[in-house]
Amino acid sequence: MALKKTMTLNLTDAEMAVLDELSEKKDLSKTAVLRQALRLYQMVNIRIERGEKLFFEDEVKKEKAEVVVL
Amino acid sequence: MSGIQIQIQSRSTGEFVDASLLDGMAAQDLLLVEREWLAERSLVAQELLRAGVERAKWPQSLHWNWSKKAPQLMLLESTGFGVVCESLWQGVMLTKTASYFARLGSDKGKPLVYVDFLEIAPWNWVIPEIGRDGRYRMIGSTLFWRAVQQSEEEGFHGRVGLHALPQSESFYEKGCGMTPLGRDATKQNLLYFELSREQAQRHLQKGGDA
Repeated sequence: MALKKTMTLNLTDAEMAVLDELSEKKDLSKTAVLRQALRLYQMVNIRIERGEKLFFEDEVKKEKAEVVVL
Repeated sequence: MSGIQIQIQSRSTGEFVDASLLDGMAAQDLLLVEREWLAERSLVAQELLRAGVERAKWPQSLHWNWSKKAPQLMLLESTGFGVVCESLWQGVMLTKTASYFARLGSDKGKPLVYVDFLEIAPWNWVIPEIGRDGRYRMIGSTLFWRAVQQSEEEGFHGRVGLHALPQSESFYEKGCGMTPLGRDATKQNLLYFELSREQAQRHLQKGGDA
């Protein structure tokens, strides 16, 4: 495993509540949830910078919606 | 790169030899892998052609090119692992940790380590049709064991998923104890396999032998 550095993170109550919920739902530590979020955000950004688009698809309703990432 | 010392087995003598299991491969390492393996891949292809071996029996990763996979290592979610022995890459694996989720049982929707590519060096391939016995064994099973370990390290409880080439289906099901979960039309109709947290514990308890 690569060496890790420690940082302090300031979150609002609402943000912390979401982090707690995701941590519980995904059975991950809060650090692991944030690490996963960073990996996904980087991947999405790289693909958007390449000119690709991100979509959510509802298979039942056959609807597709583009997600705009800033 | 960091790594641990392991042993792999010579197929000809049965002796165990020292090797290194490395993680944190960089893009340049994958370029080097391809440079080392390319000539042997071509040789195998020539021998198969010359012997008139039917295409269905050709190694299904014969056309792979690790240098084309190198850019993937820019992503935080991708990790490259490799086994080095006698100063040569004997096997390589690329995993992903953020874009695939478990489909099995009560862990459905939870993250897992996805084995995107795993290949052993062409001189380690066993191809009886052209008299190739393979130089070393235990490389694929060691890399798979490392994927399970990575899953533990990530807090994924050993969960691992992958799409297997048809020639490797038996290895993953019988050797690694994974569960086949159907063919995937979005992945060239390859069979998707998953290792649950319970199967992972069993796999690690028996020392990762596949």
